Parts: sequence; C-alpha cells; structure tokens
Amino acid sequence: MYALVDATSFYASAEKVFDPRIRNKPVVVLSNNDGCIVAASPEAKRLNIPKFQPYFKLKSVLAEHNVVIRSSNYELYADLSDKMMKVINQFSDNHHIYSIDESFLKFEGFGDLVDSWEQYGHVIRRSVWRSTKLPVGVGFGPTPTLAKAANHAAKKFKNATGVAVINNQQSRRQILANLNVEDVWGIGKRLTKQLNQQGIYSALDLANQNPRLMRKQFSVVLERTVSELNGEACLSWHEITQRKKEIYSTRSFGERITDPKALKAALATHCAIVSKKLRKQNSLAKNIVIFAHSSPFEDRYYKKSFIQKLPVASSDVRVFTKAVSDIFHQLFQSGVKYYKAGVGAIELEDDTFLQTDLFSQSQDSPALMKCLDEINTRFGNHTARTGAQLQSNAWHMRRAFLSPYYTTRWSDIPLIKCQ
Amino acid sequence: MKVIPIKAQAGITGFESPAAEYKELGLSLDQLLVNHPNATFIGLASGDSMQGVGIFDGDLLLVDRAVSPQQNDVIVANFNNEFVCKLLDLQNRVLRSASTLYAPVKISECDQFQLEGVVTGSIRMHRKNSGLTRCMR
Repeated sequence: MYALVDATSFYASAEKVFDPRIRNKPVVVLSNNDGCIVAASPEAKRLNIPKFQPYFKLKSVLAEHNVVIRSSNYELYADLSDKMMKVINQFSDNHHIYSIDESFLKFEGFGDLVDSWEQYGHVIRRSVWRSTKLPVGVGFGPTPTLAKAANHAAKKFKNATGVAVINNQQSRRQILANLNVEDVWGIGKRLTKQLNQQGIYSALDLANQNPRLMRKQFSVVLERTVSELNGEACLSWHEITQRKKEIYSTRSFGERITDPKALKAALATHCAIVSKKLRKQNSLAKNIVIFAHSSPFEDRYYKKSFIQKLPVASSDVRVFTKAVSDIFHQLFQSGVKYYKAGVGAIELEDDTFLQTDLFSQSQDSPALMKCLDEINTRFGNHTARTGAQLQSNAWHMRRAFLSPYYTTRWSDIPLIKCQ
Repeated sequence: MKVIPIKAQAGITGFESPAAEYKELGLSLDQLLVNHPNATFIGLASGDSMQGVGIFDGDLLLVDRAVSPQQNDVIVANFNNEFVCKLLDLQNRVLRSASTLYAPVKISECDQFQLEGVVTGSIRMHRKNSGLTRCMR
C-alpha cells in the first residue's frame, strides 16, 4: 500500500499557524515579486478567487472581500514543511518527500498491523494537525498513481473527509470515475487535450484503455500510468524517489534592471543557489544554462540564453560564477530593461561516479564548499558568499506583504499575551 | 572502568590528548528543554498576568503542542484571535491568570477557543540579550 500525504493550500495554511487573527479568514499568498496568486486558503477558494492570476488584476476583488494578502515567506514555509515531514515520517519506515508540501509513504508488511487504512489516515491527519497546526489530506492506494488519485478525492470531492482509500475494485472505479483525466498524476494540459479528443475524459476512461495502444500512440510513460491506474505498480519506489535531473534558480526582478553590475550579481546569486542544491543531492553538472530577458509584455523584447559546457562536471560555486563571468559580455546589452534572469544546471551526474580526465582536472574544492554550506546552514543563507554576489542588491525580490519569520529569527517569534 | 593507558609526561610535544577518547558532545539546552522538537514553538511573553507562576514580561515560552493538557496546566490558547497564556481550569472551562489583578475568564459558546499547546518551560534573561531586546517591538 502507498499513501500520499499533502498539506491543504500549504502556503496559505502556513501563514495561519502563527497568526491567530487570520485563522478563519480568507488568505491568499503571492508568488515571487508579489506577481500572481499561488495559494488560496479554503475560505478564499469559496470566494472563487482564481489562482495563477496577476495580483494587480484582482486587487479590488480581494479588497472587497477583506482577503488577507501575503508575500511568499519561504523561510517560514521551509521550516514548517520540515516539521510536518518529520511528523509524517513517524507513520511509516519508508517515506519519501516529493515536494515542499507532499510526501509518499510506502507500507510493506503492514497488512496485519493496520485494521483500517481509513482510520490510520485520520490518525496521521490528527497527529500532523496537533503538532504543527497544518491541515493535511491523505490518500491510500495500491500504486503511487492511485494513492495520488485517492488524495485528490480526500481533499476535493464532495463530502470529502480528508482521507480516501482505494483498496478494492469498487473504491477504485468510484474514485477514478469522478476524477478528471487532467488530475491524474503525470498528465499535463497538452496531453489532456489530446486524450479528450479521443473521448477520454475521466481517469476511469483512461484506465480502461489498452496500455499497449497508449504506448504506441503516446509514450511508454502513459502506458505505465494506465497500468498504475489498474492497480499494477509500474513506477518503482526508486523512480519516485529519483533525484532531480535538472536544477534551476530563476527569478523575476522587483524592479527592472539596466545596470550590468546588478544583473551579474543576480546571476552570481543564482549560481550559489543552484550549486548548493546540487551539492545537497550529491550531483555534478556537466552543462549550465544562463539566461536573461526583458518583459515579453513590453516593447523591444530581448532574450538571450547560453549553455556553457564545463570542462569537468562540477558543483562548485566558483566554477559556476566563472562560467557566468566568461559569457557575461555576450549576454548583457545596455539599454535593455531586464525583467528576469536565471541559472540552471543540466546534464547532472552522480558525484561518486565521476569520469575523471587526465588533462582537465576538476577545479572543485569539496572541502571549501562543505565549509561554505555549513556556515550558511548555521547562520542563514548567503552569510558567506562569493564576491560577485556582493556588488549589488538592487535586484532583490519585492515582498510587500511578508509575514514575520516566526520560527527562524529571534526577533520575529510570536507574541503571547499575558494580560 | 576505562584506564588511560598513557602516563602523562611533561616535555613531550605533539602527543594526542589522552582525554580525547573521553570527549563527548557539549550539553545541549534543546535536548534538555524540548521534548517534542517537531511540535514545539517558542513565543515571547508580553504582560504581567502570569507572574504568580514565574512568567514575567519578556520571558521566552516553550510551547509544546504534543503534550496533553491537564488541570491547571500553563497553556497557550488562541482565544478570540489572540495567543494568550493562562492557567487552564478544564473542569470549569475557565482561563485563570496567575495574578489577583486579573479576573478569571469563562470560555463561553460565543468565544473562539483553540488550544495551541502546553507551556512546558519558560526562560528568563537576567542580563540584556541583544537578540531578544530587538524583538520587544
């Protein structure tokens, strides 16, 4: 049996944990630079506030309904996510964190220990709520794809209780029949359109397709999804827990940038973020992508991106920063109002299986990077940084509605009244 | 019993400290004070209504959400959209202060009441701590 446990509108729920004034209010959270709405609490959803819409377009609607607006407080979300995951981890010996707010549990040999998955799901929910004041939904299924489908049912179906279980043909058919095909794990928008054209609308429609035919028409991935929907586990646990194959750090600027120094500093910071993430999963990058562009909605749209091949696969911030520095004169054009820039690591490999080359030696210093990571973990991100990052902070994010860092900064801990 | 098998001698340099294998990690306050790290948060007490139990304005409160509240526990609750620290009288559904200056508050049907956690410990600074002074906004 598999379970998928995830938080209900995680960012919005996280904002409520340490702010009792907004516990029962509609809350929305905005993306980087306060651009779009990325999370809406259940109260806000009931007001039919659409997600992924630009904030400025909805300003008046939000004000009219007294909706609480927050900028993304990643520092708070990361800490609360960590606590939530540790609580969830107690319920199985096999736990994989899939994203900041969702994780898979795998139960092997639990058959005799758990009388009712339904009840077990509620125990998980109550425990997470009590420890962290974060609401979660739990879905159980014999395959990861079915667990994901059950999770959807647990949260979004009519009369949903926060827990749903697929453990026989009846529950499987009932949930899949009520699930749109676009809500099946791994089915994107484009694929949904193609499937709809063939008369496949529900998850059950998809489950009833011939897997081989799906492979022929679409891909081996869709063939597996069909098998998974029929209760045949095709995705191995290893594949679910697979490491990321590409890592990006990109961000749009709070204000347009025209200064080359500021742009370079932003890219240097992205180098630091990407290389740190690589080190965390013990990967090295063979190639890195560097790009910058102006806003596509303004005149004279300008975009440039480069792929830099590194002589030896690396995860060292200095190697990345040098690569940026080497191509910067080709990337930057004066007069352009830069809107967004980023750095990505592609073609990753495991650092334990690195192919070494006699003639081009690695420039990495794992010891130095380890020291850097330890300093920044202990004293906060970017405490120690490369000189290139220091030149300017003009590119920083706009976060006008930021809540305090309740759990990670002493000056921000919640106030408790003794009056 | 472990015996250090090396005689201490003066005048020899570059000798590894014979005490090295007896070294343990330093004491951690977290280990002592926080029983449920995933369910504990730290808050700042504001006000004088809990002085009777030794909680003063500006003290740090360790709030554990995993502990079940018992009669007369010091608790933190979300009471009408505010975090408050009170003594919990479960039997009478009353929140009491640890000070004669504050009357007990009855929890009625119209009140919003949500238990946040039990205060398992509090910490008072006897010298100014710049990190904490800053949070006395």
